[in-house]
Amino acid sequence: MIAARRAGRSALIAGALTSTLVLAACGSTADTAGGTAGAGGVITDVGVTDTTITLGIMGDTSGVFKNLGAGLNAGNQLWADDVNAAGGICGRQIEIEVVDHGYKADVAKTLYPQLEPNVLGMVQLLGSPVLAALEPNLIEDNMLAAPASWSSEVLDNPGIMMIGTTYDLEIINGLAYLQQQGLLADGDTIGHIYIDGEYGGNGLKGSQYYAQQHGLTINEAKVTSTDNDLTGIVTGMRGAGVKVIVLTTTPGQTASALAANQALGLNVPVLGNNPTFDPALLETPAAGALGNLYVSASNAPFSSPNPKAVEVTTRYKEAYPDSPLNAGVTTGYTEGVVWQNVLEAACEAGDLSRAGVKTALTTLTEVDSEGLVDVLDYSSPGAPPTRGVYIAQVDATAEGGLREVAPLFTSPEGESYVAPFQES
Amino acid sequence: MNTFLQLLVNGLGKGAVYALLALGFVIIFKATEVVNFAHGSLVLIGGYLVYELKDALGWAGAAVVGIVAAALSALAIERLLLRNATSADHNSLALLTIGIDVIITEEVVRRVGADIPFIGDPYDSQPIRIGDLTIFRTQAIALVVGAVLITAFLLAFRYSNWGVAMRAQAENREAAALMGIRSSRVTATAWLVAGALAGVAVLFMATQDFSGAGLGRGTHAIALIAFPAAILGGLDSTEGAVVGGLVVGLTEALSAQYISFEFSKSAVFLVMLVVLVIRPSGLFGTKELSRV
Amino acid sequence: MSETMTPPAAPATAPPAPTAGAGRNWLKIAAAAALIVVLLLLPVLVGNGGVAYLKLAQYILIGAVGGIGLTLLVGQAGQLSLAHPFFLLVGAVGYAVLAGDPEESADLVGLGLPPLVAVIGAIVLCGLVGLAFAPVAGRLRGIYLGVASLSLVFLGLWLGQSLDMFSGGTSSGRNAPVFELFGFEFANSQPAPTIAGVAIQKQQRLWYLFLAFALMSYFLARGAVNSRIGRSWRAVRDNEAAATSMGVNVTRVKAGAFVISSAFAGLAGVMTALWLDLVKPDENEFTGTYSLTVAIAFLAVVIIGGLGSVPGAVVGATIVFGLQQFFLLGSQQFGWFADAQFGGFSAVVVSAFVYGAAIVLVILFEPGGIAAIGRRLTSRRSPDARSANGGDRTTPREDRT
Repeated sequence: MIAARRAGRSALIAGALTSTLVLAACGSTADTAGGTAGAGGVITDVGVTDTTITLGIMGDTSGVFKNLGAGLNAGNQLWADDVNAAGGICGRQIEIEVVDHGYKADVAKTLYPQLEPNVLGMVQLLGSPVLAALEPNLIEDNMLAAPASWSSEVLDNPGIMMIGTTYDLEIINGLAYLQQQGLLADGDTIGHIYIDGEYGGNGLKGSQYYAQQHGLTINEAKVTSTDNDLTGIVTGMRGAGVKVIVLTTTPGQTASALAANQALGLNVPVLGNNPTFDPALLETPAAGALGNLYVSASNAPFSSPNPKAVEVTTRYKEAYPDSPLNAGVTTGYTEGVVWQNVLEAACEAGDLSRAGVKTALTTLTEVDSEGLVDVLDYSSPGAPPTRGVYIAQVDATAEGGLREVAPLFTSPEGESYVAPFQES
Repeated sequence: MNTFLQLLVNGLGKGAVYALLALGFVIIFKATEVVNFAHGSLVLIGGYLVYELKDALGWAGAAVVGIVAAALSALAIERLLLRNATSADHNSLALLTIGIDVIITEEVVRRVGADIPFIGDPYDSQPIRIGDLTIFRTQAIALVVGAVLITAFLLAFRYSNWGVAMRAQAENREAAALMGIRSSRVTATAWLVAGALAGVAVLFMATQDFSGAGLGRGTHAIALIAFPAAILGGLDSTEGAVVGGLVVGLTEALSAQYISFEFSKSAVFLVMLVVLVIRPSGLFGTKELSRV
Repeated sequence: MSETMTPPAAPATAPPAPTAGAGRNWLKIAAAAALIVVLLLLPVLVGNGGVAYLKLAQYILIGAVGGIGLTLLVGQAGQLSLAHPFFLLVGAVGYAVLAGDPEESADLVGLGLPPLVAVIGAIVLCGLVGLAFAPVAGRLRGIYLGVASLSLVFLGLWLGQSLDMFSGGTSSGRNAPVFELFGFEFANSQPAPTIAGVAIQKQQRLWYLFLAFALMSYFLARGAVNSRIGRSWRAVRDNEAAATSMGVNVTRVKAGAFVISSAFAGLAGVMTALWLDLVKPDENEFTGTYSLTVAIAFLAVVIIGGLGSVPGAVVGATIVFGLQQFFLLGSQQFGWFADAQFGGFSAVVVSAFVYGAAIVLVILFEPGGIAAIGRRLTSRRSPDARSANGGDRTTPREDRT
C-alpha cells in the first residue's frame, strides 16, 4: 500500500524533474524562470539575495508537538546565529522565516504558498501528515526540505534531506541492542504498538525485518494518535506472552503502555524510537513505570556527554531559560549543520538556486555534525544517510530525562536492511 | 480466560464513569427536553479547577471546588443562555449548547495546553493485584462511587419532593405547572445535579488508569462516547443511562481485544445504531407518539 | 423527542415583492452580477503573489457547497445530520478511485475514468451511500438522528484505515488525480495563459473550477427549494402526519433529502481532494479533514447562515471556513496572535471562539440566522416586501419564493 502511493509519486517526481529542466526553478505559478547571477557570480533564484539566504520553517508551536517544535525552532535559530556570527555562508547572512501550522495538514496547505516565494528551502518541516500533504508542492517547486520526521518511506523524493537515520532502522538497532543485553532471544514473541501512519508504519517495518532475521513472532496493534489508553492492548499482549513491547507512539501513549506494563505485572522491557519519549512524562502518574523504556534515536539525547551536544544545550539553556528541555534542540541544530554543508557545497559550485542546492546535496558523502548524529552520506538516493543510533534509558535525574546507555552504533541487522527506496 | 476476566474488569470500571456521564444527559433531558451537547465542557471546567487549585487547597478541597464549579457552570448555562433564547425550540437549544461547548473546550484546552494536566488523583496508578487479575484502583473507586451516587439519585428521584416534581414535569409540563410545581426550580436543580455528576466523573477520567492522559481534548471526547450510552438506554430513562454506560464500557473493552482495537470506537456507535433501528427511542426510552 | 427539527425561519430568499417590482429586482440582479464579476476577476485582483488568498477563497467554496447540502437536509427537510464529513470522505475517495490511474500501483484500485466522469460518479456514489443510510434516518428523529449519524463519522474513520486499497491508507494517502476537462488540465503548464498579466496556473484554474461547482450547487439548491421537492421537504419537516394526509410519501421524501444532501457533500469531498492534492483518511476522529470538528463546523455554517437558507449557507461558510484560514494568513503576514506559542490565543482558537459565539448569538437573538437579518435589511427599505413577508413577523413559517 505504502509502496503503492510511492510508485505513483515516483512517476510524478520523474515528470517534475523533466519539466524542471524546462522551467528551471519556479514558483507555484511559474511566472519566473531561470536563475540570475548574483553577488560573487553565484547563480540564484528564490530566497537568496546578495546579502541574505532565507530558509523556511514549517513547524508546530501550538499543536500536539509544540514542545518538540519549540526545541527544534530554537535549535535551528541557534545554528543560524552561529553561522551569522562567523560571517555567514557565501558572503550572505542566514535568515529564517517561521510558520506555525499546529500539526494540521490543511493549515499547512494554505500557509505554504505564502512562504514558498520567500525561501530557498526548508530548514525544518515538521509532521508526517504535513509532509504528505505538501509533497506535491515540494516536488513542483523543486524545494529541498529537511523533515522533522524520520520515515524512510519519503526517501523517493530527492528533495527530502533526511537528518539522521530512519524509524525502521531505529527499531532494528534497538531490538539488536536488547538481544545483545540478553533481554530478547530468537523465537520470542514481541508486541508492537504503532500509530497508523507514516511514522508507525515505518517503525513496524523495522520490527518485521528484525523478526524475520531472528524468527520472532510479532503481536501487532494499530492505534491512532489520540488513543491514549493502551491498557486493553497491553492486557492482550500479556495474554500472548510477549517478551518485549516495541512502541512507535506518542509520548502520552508511551506512558500508558508503560503504566499498564507495570500494573498488569508484565514488566517486560519496552523499546521506543525517538519521538516516543518526552521528558514531561516524568511529571505524570506513570513516572514510576518509565524505567523499563529504552529509547533508540539517531540523535544524541539532551544530556549526552558528547561535547558538541553539551555546547548546544548549554547555549540553549542560556538563550531560552524557561523552555522545555528535549532532544528537539540538538536535532534542530543538526538540521542547520547539514544545510550549512549543502549551502557551502552549492556556493563552491557557483549555484545557489533551488536546483543547485539539490544537486549539491547529492555530492555530500561525509557530513560531520561532531557526533550530534552519525556521519551522513547523501550520495546514494533512496537510502537513509546513516544507520547509527544512540540507545538511552529513562532516568529522572538526567537533564532531558534520558541517560545514554550505548553510544552511536549500528547493528549487523541494521547494515543488511534494505530501505524501501534504496537502490541495490 | 485471564485476559477475558481482566477485560471485563476494565470494561465495567469504565462503564461506571460512562453511566455517570450518561445520567447527566438524561437528567437534563427529562427536565427540559434539551440535549446538552456542552456536557463535555462541564467535565473540562471541573477538571480544570481541580488541576489549578490542587496545590493550594489540596486534592480533596480542589475536588469539592471542581464539582461545585461544574454544577454552577451548568446552572449558568441554563439561566443565562438557554432561558433567554428567543426560540424555545428544544432542538435549537441543543444546537446552542454546541456553540457553548466549542468555546469552553477551546479555552480549557488552550489553558492546560502547555502543561501535562493530570489532576493529581491520589488513587491513580496504584493497581491492586489479586492473583493474575489487576484491578485499577481508580476504576474500583469509580464503580463504588458511581453505584452510590446512582442509587442515591434513583431513590431521590422516586421518593423526594424534587423527584416527584421532576417526574411530573417530564410527564406533562403544563399539567405540572397547574399543580403548583415550579418548573423553573425543577429545571435549575436538574442542571445543577447533572453538572455535579460531570464534576465527579472527571475525577476518574483524567487519570493514567482510566484514559492514560490528563485533562484535554481526549477528556472531552470521552464525554462524547457517553452520548451513545445515553441514547442507547433511552434519553429519558435514568435506568437506561446506567445500563447504557455499562454496555458501552464492555463493548469497547471486548471489541478492542476480540475484533480490533481501531474498530472499538466504531463498535460502540454501531451497537447504538442497531439498538436505534430496532427501538428508535432506545432500550428503555419512552416511545414517541406521532402527533397530528 | 416529540418534535422534528423545526427551523424558526426559512425563506431562502426574500419573497418577490409584488408591487415594488421591476426596480428592486433590477437592483438585485445588478448586485449579483457585480459579485460574480468580482469573483471571476479574483485571481487577477490577488495576482500571482496572492495565491494564498486564492487558496482561502477556494476553501470557502468547499464549505459553501457542503453547507448548501446540509442546510437542505437540516433546515428544509428537518433531519439533523452530523454525518457530513463521512460523505466528504466517500466523495474524495470515490473520485480518487474512479479517476485514479490503474497503472499507478498494484495495491491501489484506480479505474482510470475521465476526471469529469469520476466527479459525477463520486457524487452519484455519495447519493447511493446516503440512500443506504436512509432507512435508519427514516426511523429516527431530531437529536436521535443527529447522534446516530455521528456513527457514520466513526465508521468512516475505521473504513478509511482498513480499506487502504481505496483510500491509500492513513499513512500517506493517495494522489488526487488531476482534474481535466476536454484535454485541458487543471495543473501548472508552461507557457500558461494569462489574464491581465496574471498567469493562469493550477490554483487560478482550480478557482474557476470551484466557482463553477459552487454556482451550479447554488442554483440547483435554490431550484430544489422553490420546487415541489422543496415544498414536500418543508411539509414533512413541519408535520409528518399532516404531510401524509396531503399525499406526501414521508419515507420517500426523507430518503430523497438524505440522498441529495449526501451528493452535495460528495462534491465538496471531491473539491477537498483537489484542494489538498491528496486523498488521505484521518488518523483520529477529533481533528482532521473528515473529523468531528468538521461535522460541527458544517453545522455551524447552516445555523449561522440560517437553517434552510441557501444564500445563508454561503455566508456561513465564509465565516466558519474563511475566518480560520484568514486569521492564519494574518498571523503569518502581519504577526497576529504572536503569543500563540505557549498557551496564548492562536488563530485556530480565536476562530473557534468566533464561530462558537456566533452559534450562541444567532440562536439567542436571531434564530433565522444571517438569512433573517438579510431579509430584514432588505424589507426595511421596501415596505411592500415587508407586508408580503407577513407583516412584522420575524420568523415567518412559510417558505415561499
